[in-house]
Parts: sequence; structure tokens; C-alpha cells
Amino acid sequence: MGSIRFKNVDKVFGPSAGGVKVLDDINLEIAEKEFVAIVGPSGCGKTTCLRMVAGFEPPTSGEVSVNGKVVTAPGPDRAVVFQQFALFPWKSVRDNIDLGLRNKNLPKVERDERIAAALRLMNLESHADAFPHQLSGGMQQRVAIARAYVLDPEVLLMDEPFGALDAQTRVVMQEELVRLARVNPRTVLFITHAVEEAVYLADRVAIMTRRPGRIKEVLDIRKVREAENWDRMTRIEDVMDLESFVHLRTQIWKSLREEKGANSV
Amino acid sequence: MKALSENLKSVGGSADMAGRRGWIGLGTVAGLIALWFVLSGTGLVSSARFPSPAEFWVSLTQIATRGYAGGQLWQHALQSLRLVAMGFLVAIATGIPLGLWMGWSRRAEAVINPVFLIIRPIPPLAWIPLAILWLGLGDAAKIMVIWFAAFVPSVINAFSGVRAIDRPMIEAARMLGTPPLRMVVEVIAPAAMPMIFTGLRLSLQAAWTTLVAAELVGALAGIGFVLNMAQQDIYPGMILVGMVTVGVLGWATTRALGAAERRALAWNVAARD
Amino acid sequence: MGPPLPLRERLVLGGLGLGGFIALWTLLSTTGIVPRSFLPTPFDVMSRFAVLLSTPFAGATLPQHLASSFQRYGSGVLLAAAIGVPLGLMMGWFRVLDDIVTPIFDGLRFIAPIAWVPFAALWFGTGIGGPVLIIFAGAFPPCLINAYRGARFVEPRLIEAARMLGTGNTRMIVEILLPAATPSIVAGLRVSAGLGWQSLVGAELIVAAAGIGFMMVQAQANVATPTVMAGMVAIGLVGMLIDILLRQFEAWLRRRRGLEV
Repeated sequence: MGSIRFKNVDKVFGPSAGGVKVLDDINLEIAEKEFVAIVGPSGCGKTTCLRMVAGFEPPTSGEVSVNGKVVTAPGPDRAVVFQQFALFPWKSVRDNIDLGLRNKNLPKVERDERIAAALRLMNLESHADAFPHQLSGGMQQRVAIARAYVLDPEVLLMDEPFGALDAQTRVVMQEELVRLARVNPRTVLFITHAVEEAVYLADRVAIMTRRPGRIKEVLDIRKVREAENWDRMTRIEDVMDLESFVHLRTQIWKSLREEKGANSV
Repeated sequence: MKALSENLKSVGGSADMAGRRGWIGLGTVAGLIALWFVLSGTGLVSSARFPSPAEFWVSLTQIATRGYAGGQLWQHALQSLRLVAMGFLVAIATGIPLGLWMGWSRRAEAVINPVFLIIRPIPPLAWIPLAILWLGLGDAAKIMVIWFAAFVPSVINAFSGVRAIDRPMIEAARMLGTPPLRMVVEVIAPAAMPMIFTGLRLSLQAAWTTLVAAELVGALAGIGFVLNMAQQDIYPGMILVGMVTVGVLGWATTRALGAAERRALAWNVAARD
Repeated sequence: MGPPLPLRERLVLGGLGLGGFIALWTLLSTTGIVPRSFLPTPFDVMSRFAVLLSTPFAGATLPQHLASSFQRYGSGVLLAAAIGVPLGLMMGWFRVLDDIVTPIFDGLRFIAPIAWVPFAALWFGTGIGGPVLIIFAGAFPPCLINAYRGARFVEPRLIEAARMLGTGNTRMIVEILLPAATPSIVAGLRVSAGLGWQSLVGAELIVAAAGIGFMMVQAQANVATPTVMAGMVAIGLVGMLIDILLRQFEAWLRRRRGLEV
């Protein structure tokens, strides 16, 4: 449960003749419980890929499906964590997390249980009744992740989720996400332009060309990670020092550099 | 349009500077009152034009205790307040939902907008003769015109409020599987609330202006009626009393609205300025 | 709320809405559900409008009434701008002036412009001064506030640069604050013009012997409903025209300054 498939997907914005083609013949299969990151230059359409799985944009041609069913609308089975958090400022942390559960018509007892678990998981227990404006960026993003997790979604879609955070907070969040992913794995599609982040977090990394975006190559990180046992390191900087890590990172950089070309956006 | 004094607070200045500004303000008001005494006392401003402080006081006590134009001050004030409240409340109860709907549904906007565009340029006061033709000189005509005046800003601001909502917020709510009614009540309305309140302030202003005008044109009670009578009786002291009362009532209702706004928008720290 | 609708769909739906409105109106009137003397058909109103363009009512034709109204309107708004804009700019620069004027302004703000009518009548009778005073009362606040805010919230770096260059007070206001505040001032003028037009209508309903408001009051007294409504149409049209012209001017100004593409 929770497989994603892009089949011959094209995306054109604007009128069909003369519009902007952002995606060209995307073919990608993501197995259940696999963590896949997409990296690529600005404007290559990687966020659009995520939005199509989420159901916010339809493909112009081709098919985007989850569990074999074509995606037609957004829903809690494909939870989204946005770059700008998108928390509701008039609701407390607890109520923000609660909304998705209420929409599922779950009984109060179960909702309270799930919220308590999510708050524990994301270290938000002491802030349950605070409002978003009282929290730092990192905490707000934790709330957004908690809000997504509490739905127990098959698919987790993360659109540059740490892009709006400062460097130190970003590192902390990355370590936490890895911890979560090992403990509570599910299918994740993770969009980022930070190569190191992708290599650290993902099982596979798909590299996109510049616009119109195509999948240039897909690297299997997991094989290397398990062979070299990266998980023996608890700190991100130790992992990033490993030769195998550096090798993969450099490989991806080189590939992206080719995409920069003379006139990069 | 906020009070200029509120603008001052937002652009900094330490606590004792604010204190100093308060003193200067007080001094100005005191100075003006002193000037008023002097100008009337020396006859530089004839009392046929502008009442002296003494005349003002006499008129005030008269209407407050013995009454004028058919009632005491509180009765006239209550009458005006009553009409404003009714017109205002009906206007926002009809205007805000319409504005929210037009903001949310592009189809609804496309259908309703042309009619709105035609009606909108007609100033509310221009409806007064028609209202009197249709409903006579009683309360109904006034409420109709007040409703109309307060309706338009509410619709427009609710509409703008919805259109201004951050797209990710709506997408997040959709992603969470929020059904339509809950979407409106728990996401769209709160998100649009800051702009809605701006509209409410404008609506209240429009309501008062329209009420005073309507009562000036044709009424049998109310502050506007007092002003009208005072003008016909050539009674400047009472005219001033009427104007001051209008000001006070306007100020009081605006403050009440402000308090409601602060409570409703307690979460909106970002935009507080 | 989804993407904007294509133009054709907008036009069709708009036509439906407008058509439906006019149809309903005409229906109510012609079937007599509402007496025709109370609710003339749209056609009645427009034909009366056409007639009034050349036939006098209450002493003058429609264009003549409008011209008369416009005289008072123009004077009131120009006066409001001539006093409000310089005063606002100076208040933005001289803190003391700000401290003195602000309390007065805040106090008077809550008195609806229309409440000045009795004094206007007392002081000016039915002369032009009355409506001008009321229009001034309505048009003045936006001029003042927008000039003030425009001057007050100029980017501090610009002020610092000017002071470093030894700019005196007058030159600061005229050559730095005024240009910087111009977008805000023009926006304020647009609001002013709108409020002034509304105040004019109110004023003329009560204290005029000519003008469009006067015409409507006379029509109402004579139960000449089509004329009342024709007057409303005229007022709406002129008001809309004023707003459109000023918006164009505002947009042109913004383009010139590169603030808008």
C-alpha cells in the first residue's frame, strides 16, 4: 500500500499551444514505504510532480497513480507538508492537528489519543495549546509534520519542508526525520534542491534536468547506506564525512552542474 | 483609516515621548477651548453664527433635562442608535455571507458582479428620496438606506478577504479532507476575518453618515431630527449639541467594534500595527 | 477557489446575472406586483433619463443640474486637497505640528460630514458655501491622512541621505517628501473624490436650490419616481467616471515610477 507511479507524464502550464512545458515524459515508480527524493535546478518541475501526486494539479498527459488508482483530488491519504507550513493561525497547535482527524469523523477518544502520540513524537507536548505565531519556524514545521503523521497516511509528500528554516534548525529536523523514517516507515516523496539533504534522507534520489524537466537518472542510496552502515552514526556531520556519502554527493552535484549550463535560471 | 494617534504608536517613540505627546495634545485641546471662550466673549464670533460655551451649556442642559424637539437627549440618542444598530446588523448578516460566497465561487462572482457594479456607484444617500417614496418617513425607510450603505463595504471586504487567502492554507485544508461547510466556517471565514473587520469599520461609518442624513431629510425623532429642528429654529447652541452627540455616539460604537475586533483577531499578531 | 474563469464563461454568466436582474425588475413592475408608480420599469427610467437630457425639470435640464453640482463638488475637493495635502506633509515632517493637529483631527473625525449641514445652512443659506463646506468635510480626511502617511513612512535611508546632504526643511518637504509620498497622495485623492461626491449628494438633498440632489428631492416631493431613479443613474455614472479616470491616472503614475509593469 502506498506505491506511487508516474507514467508518461507531461505538464504544460497555460494554453496547450504556446504554454510553458515544465515536465516531459516523466516515468517513475516508487515502491511502498520507499523514501524517494527528487533534486533538480530551479524551475525543473520537481514541485509540480509532488503537487500532481497530491491532487492539486492534473497532468496534461499521462497518468499519476497511487496504489494503481489515478489521482483526481487531494485527500488525507496523501498528506502534504508545505514549505510555508500552512498552519491555521487561528487554531492552537492541538486544533491544527485535530482538523484532519475530525474530517475523518473519528470519535473524540481516538482523536485525543492520536494527538497525544503525535505531540510526543514531535516533542510538542508543552506547546499543545500555543498558537502558531508563538512558535519558532522549526516548531511550526514540527506541527505541520505532526498534522500529516497523525492521519497515518500511506503517502507523505514533503515539498522543500525545511527550506524556510535556518541552517541549524534544518539539521535538527533532518536528523529527526531520519529517526521517524526508520521507526515508522511509509512512502515518502521529498522535494529539495539541497543535495546533501537528499542523500542523507532518501533511499533513492531522482535527478531532474532543467526545464522541461525529465528524469535524468536515479541513484540507489539505500544499497550504499546499508552496505556502509551509515546508521551506526547518530550525528549528521559524521555521516556526511563518510567517503561513500561524499562520493554519492559529488556524483549528484556533477550531474546537476551539467544542467546548469550557460543560461541557468 | 485609523486615528492618526494610532499611527504614532506604530512608528516608535519611547514611553516618555508618548507622554510628552499626550501633554501637547491635551494642551491643544485646552487651548482651543480657551480660544472658544475668548472669541465668543469678545464678540469676535457672533453668537448667531457659532454658540458661545455658555449657550452650548444651556442647550445641553435643556435637551438633557427638559427635552427638545419632542424628547430628551437620551431618547433621541437611543432612537438613532437603535436604527443604526438594526441597519448595520442586517447589512453585515447579509453582506458578509454574500461576499464570502462571491470570493469562494468564481461562478457566483461572475453572475453577481455586473449587478453589483451597477448598484455600487450610486451613493447610499442618493437612495434617500427613493426610500422615502417607497416607505414614507418612518423607521423602515431609514433602515433600508442604512442597510444599503453598510451592505456594500461588507460584501467587498469579505470578497477581498477570501481572495487574499494564502493558497497553501486552502490546499492544506483540502489535503486534510475538509468538507465544504467546515471549510467555510473553520478556514475561510477566520482567514478572511481581518479584512472583514476592515469592512465592518467602513460599514459602521457609512451607517452613521446615512442615518444622520436620513434623519435630516425626514424624521420625527432622533439626533438628525434634533439637528434639523435646531437649524430651523436658528438655535446654534442646540446644533452644536447635536453634532457633539453624533460624534460621541460614533466614537462609542467604533470603540465597541474595535474591542470586538481585538477579541476576534487575537491570533493575528503578524498584522498588528 | 480555483483558477480564473475563461473570458467567454465570465461574459455569459455575467450576462445571465444582469439579464436576470433586469428581467425580474421589469416583471415586478409590469405585472403590477409592485405598483408602477413606485417601481417604473428599467425602460421607463432610461427613457426618462433621455428626456431629461434636454427637457428641464425643477428649473434645469439634467446636464445643467450636473454642471451646477460639479461646480460645488470641484471647489470642495480642490479646497480639501489644497489644505489637506500640504498640511499632511508638514505634519509628517514636523513632529510638533503632528502633536497639535492630531487630537483635533481625531476628535472631529467621528462627526459625519453630513452633520455639518445645519451650520452650513445657517452660515451660507442656500449659497454655494454650504455644500462646499460639507464636501470639504468629507473629502478632507483622506487627503490629510494619505499625505501624512506618505511623508511619515518614507524609507528612512532616503531621509538620512537628504539630511547628510544638508537639506533644509522646506526643500526636504518639497523635493523629498512630496515626490516620495505622491503614490499615497494620489490614492488618497481618489478616495477623497469618491467621498466628496457622496457628501455632495447628501448636501444637495438638504441645502440646495439647484443641482442633481435638489432635482431628486423635487422629484420625490412630486412622486415623479422615474425622475428620481434617473437622477440616481446620473449620479452613479458620474461617480463611476470620476473613479475610473483617477484610477487610470494612478496606474499611469505607478508605471512612470516603475512600481508597476
